[in-house]
Amino acid sequence: MAAGGPSLLELHGISKRFGATMALQEVHLELRAGEVHALLGENGAGKSTLIKILGGIHRPDAGELRLDGIPVEIRGVADADRLGIRLIHQELTLAPNLSVAENLFLGREPRRWGLLQRGAMTAAAEALRDRLGLGVIGDVRVRVGSLSVAQQQLVEIARALSTEARILVLDEPTASLSEAETALLFDTLRRLRQQGVGIIYISHRLEEIQRLADRITVLRDGRSIGTQDAAQLSAPELIRWMVGRELREHYPRPPHRPGAVALSVTHLVNDRVRDVSFELRYGEVLGLAGLVGAGRTELAETLFGLRPARQGEVRLEGRPVRITSPGDALAAGIALVPEDRKRAGLVLTGSVGFNLALPWAPEWHRGCHVQTARRDAIVERGIAGFGIRCTGAEQPVRGLSGGNQQKVVIAKWMEHPPKVLILDEPTRGVDVGAREEMFALIGRAIQAGMAVLLISSDLPEVMNLSHRLALYRNGRILREMASDAITPEAVMAELTRN
Amino acid sequence: MKRLRDLLPLMAAAVALVVLFALAVPGGRFLTVDNLLDLTQQISINAILAFGMTLAILIGGIDLSVGAVVALAGTVAVATLPVAGWPGAAAAGLGTAGLIGLVNGACAARTRMPPFIITLATMMVARGIALRFNEGRPMPVPDSQTVFLALGNARLLGVVPVPALVMLGAFVLAALLLHRTAFGQHLYAIGGSREAARCVGIPLARRETTVYLLCSLLAGLAGLIHASQLYSAEPASGQGFELNAIAAVVVGGTSFTGGVGTLPGTLVGAVIIGILDKGLNQAGVHFSLQYIIKGLVILGAVYLDVRRRK
Repeated sequence: MAAGGPSLLELHGISKRFGATMALQEVHLELRAGEVHALLGENGAGKSTLIKILGGIHRPDAGELRLDGIPVEIRGVADADRLGIRLIHQELTLAPNLSVAENLFLGREPRRWGLLQRGAMTAAAEALRDRLGLGVIGDVRVRVGSLSVAQQQLVEIARALSTEARILVLDEPTASLSEAETALLFDTLRRLRQQGVGIIYISHRLEEIQRLADRITVLRDGRSIGTQDAAQLSAPELIRWMVGRELREHYPRPPHRPGAVALSVTHLVNDRVRDVSFELRYGEVLGLAGLVGAGRTELAETLFGLRPARQGEVRLEGRPVRITSPGDALAAGIALVPEDRKRAGLVLTGSVGFNLALPWAPEWHRGCHVQTARRDAIVERGIAGFGIRCTGAEQPVRGLSGGNQQKVVIAKWMEHPPKVLILDEPTRGVDVGAREEMFALIGRAIQAGMAVLLISSDLPEVMNLSHRLALYRNGRILREMASDAITPEAVMAELTRN
Repeated sequence: MKRLRDLLPLMAAAVALVVLFALAVPGGRFLTVDNLLDLTQQISINAILAFGMTLAILIGGIDLSVGAVVALAGTVAVATLPVAGWPGAAAAGLGTAGLIGLVNGACAARTRMPPFIITLATMMVARGIALRFNEGRPMPVPDSQTVFLALGNARLLGVVPVPALVMLGAFVLAALLLHRTAFGQHLYAIGGSREAARCVGIPLARRETTVYLLCSLLAGLAGLIHASQLYSAEPASGQGFELNAIAAVVVGGTSFTGGVGTLPGTLVGAVIIGILDKGLNQAGVHFSLQYIIKGLVILGAVYLDVRRRK
């Protein structure tokens, strides 16, 4: 790949300290015009601090930034903006109650005599959309809140590019995108690269980086370890480089020991689930592969009682169960690790201990007596048994890394292991090391004899971790097969066929 | 223990206020046993309302109807007194309050209407019903109703005001419920994240309904005490009580966004508001200035609390 443009942005010896922790130490990075430069590192390696320095949110304690070889200072967001640096954060920053066009021109709406020129704004938004080739965004007069997450992501990118951008920084832009949508985003990024934009790309998905990036810089513990051409690195090499240790195996699939049928679903129907039937056995992982928006989360929510089922039957160990609330599901032995960890998985105002003990609150209360020892034992089993890295049970769960938060969500159910564990995107926003631990947790659940329903938009992940694979599209299971019996290419072909 | 330590700054503020008024009130009339006992009597109604309000705010809700419920419960009770005696009156008053609470709870739990609007509406309805009694004029409590009058005015052993004891009783029960039961844990979870609470199997609708029911019942209890203290039911009374209760709750460190707060904190918050009211009065501060000072104190207290939590 010809990533040989002139040097656009140079970082020399950038250091940043927060209290006692050195977030960045003498970091070097060179971004060329017209290249996609991947920034890799585990959570806590300093990636977000670095991009916040580029965006003018933090100021470095030491070091120099050069743009086109000329030293610059980025004192605030306005400076970064003026220099043509655009940040796209992991969390969406759009106003969901406003339309696409209104979001695109937020803060610089076309006006005449102080009045909003709505027609001009719509036309300009459409022109921008078409120039960037983002036709999938659709009608620019539609409320952003009614778009899919992927479409919103693209609106966010369109907004960043609506004024002249020289440097585009993307932080995990594909975390909630499907394969097809990712491909679309990559097309857009490649087009920008051709136009000479320098792109800094942060992702945990190595496959993606190998597909897109020209060069890769790895950060580890706040230091830049080095920069290499992407083409020269294999995935295992990359992981070793990034983590600084050998990871046993990329995807250790738990041994398949199918037992009796745990869960059987027949002709389940509601507004988002269209006639779904499947069986799930103890000691097995059934993977639901599908594009974002295929309705897999809605199926999980229906099984867990968060959405009413209109028709169909759910049986546990052969006995029909009526599930109209999460309470019913839990009583029947179905637990859910929800997709949105921060909203639905955790009580963020609470501590690690609060979250671990919450589901079992009736157990450690006797009348008006709190059985502290019992509660502490539950919490301790969670923390120690699942390797949750925290300063103690009283640490607010808000302060944990994504991986550790996810461990709390899973560990809280393991005090009394459920029969069926539904995992919805369990590795979203989780770094490589913690992903491995998540895979190990799934293995443990299987060994303990649980039945696992795994939803993941990461195709290699869901294919490699599950024993059986169900291709899910538009509220239906298209086909079910042993995971070994199909290639990722064939899966993609089936999921995206018209 | 941790909870107690969190309360220390607030208790220090209360003590500082006592010292301030002990010096500022002429003739040393503030820091006397009688005066402080009076204080406990005067804060009892606001404190009882604030306990219920704490539960509502803790789950991310609010109950604006409590002031009107005070008036309605008192009016219904006094209207029932001649027919059914004090037990019947108490039952009628509390029953009416409970009914309003159930309506609030059912609407909040089963519809997507915001609690602010729901309870704003029931506040008006309750006030309107109260004003239908006796054409909105006060109804005196007959002197023969000694038990009912004792509720607001008597002193145990001639020393401790009965309403203060009722308030303490309500405090103990509410604190046990919130801090020592699974129900209480559930309220913290709901206030922290409704979705997460739902996903661990907590029956949101039942919990929410219960909270509004309790909040209204406590307001009903406050209404009985209020009518007793006034020796009459006043359909127009209780206006703005809900705001005073909210002030006590937030001064006491409960987060307005839900999920954070304690009942001991609310008790201290109510005490602080009570000390301010009484102390400023006795110090001879003009009532217009009293409002301004109280407003600034509330603003300052919440500002410090928010900053401390950051």
